[in-house]
Amino acid sequence: SVTEIRSGFTAIKANIQARDPIRTLSILSHPQSLHKVKSSDRCCIIHNLFNFYMDKVFKHCQTEDSYINRKISSIANSFLSIKKKLEQCHNQNKCLCGQESTEKFKQILANYEGLNITSAAIKSLGELDILLDWMEKSR
Amino acid sequence: EDALLPSPQNISILSTNMRHFLTWSPVTIQGETVRYSVEFQGEYEREYANESWIPICECSLITATVCNITEDISATVAYNLRVRADTGARRSQWGTLKGFFNRITTSLTPPPMKVIADGYHLLVELKDMGPAFQFCVLYWKKGQESRMHWKMVKDVSSTVHLDTMEAGHDYCVKAQTYVETINRSSSFSQTQCVRAQGGRSLRL
Repeated sequence: SVTEIRSGFTAIKANIQARDPIRTLSILSHPQSLHKVKSSDRCCIIHNLFNFYMDKVFKHCQTEDSYINRKISSIANSFLSIKKKLEQCHNQNKCLCGQESTEKFKQILANYEGLNITSAAIKSLGELDILLDWMEKSR
Repeated sequence: EDALLPSPQNISILSTNMRHFLTWSPVTIQGETVRYSVEFQGEYEREYANESWIPICECSLITATVCNITEDISATVAYNLRVRADTGARRSQWGTLKGFFNRITTSLTPPPMKVIADGYHLLVELKDMGPAFQFCVLYWKKGQESRMHWKMVKDVSSTVHLDTMEAGHDYCVKAQTYVETINRSSSFSQTQCVRAQGGRSLRL
């Protein structure tokens, strides 16, 4: 559940963000914050972002710290559990992507690809609360 | 490679009220202390992370034959678990749990409950069973089972006020747990009835 993701993230947030030296860039919030996304595009953005985190973020966040790795595993498996539910909406065409959300997601990928993989993955993981806050506020 | 130790057998899960324990039979070697190490693998690891396994450091080189895996079973997906034996000089193959474990199969027991008649106030005390638990409390005036009331309780750190009772009447209460993350409930507890002030207050 999102609650469990948030508690897992809270446990490692400081450690993960300390590993991200690049303070001037954001993956999720540049140039526009998620909060400007129309509610009709919400499902599509969440669906794309969950795939983004599963495919491009968690696997590149391995650390030397076993505790951190276990918490990342917890978050990733919770993501997978929610993603499978989102898949059902997506398959029933209830999760269509408008032009704006498609552009928004392209921008997030561009931000990600602007850094080397490990830095981009760590920064994306460090910004997880931005996604969680937006998901809860726009619920 | 030294002669291998036999791998642990009878690997199983004991899971009650969202607390999960991996257990196995001991490997006995005359004159040697055998230690065990446990690893887990979630569905994410199988599908996205090259089927990698993650060690549980609290259960690395332990002599006990049980490991609390609750912290790591933190999503409603299928988990694999394995354990191996180690004497320092020799090590066994991994013994793997037969089949996956999903926390959705945990057994949920009715919650311990204490019903109190405090004058005209119907109160209930519930035990804190952890952050995953909510409680559904049903209460009714005895004889009016068709007019049950219910209250969803999330915070059980203090006594819960259910209702203001009519003098001398009996009121009954029962409760069940609900775990949102697996969307399941326990069976109901035993019904407990009390009598409001204005008659002898006794537990019926």
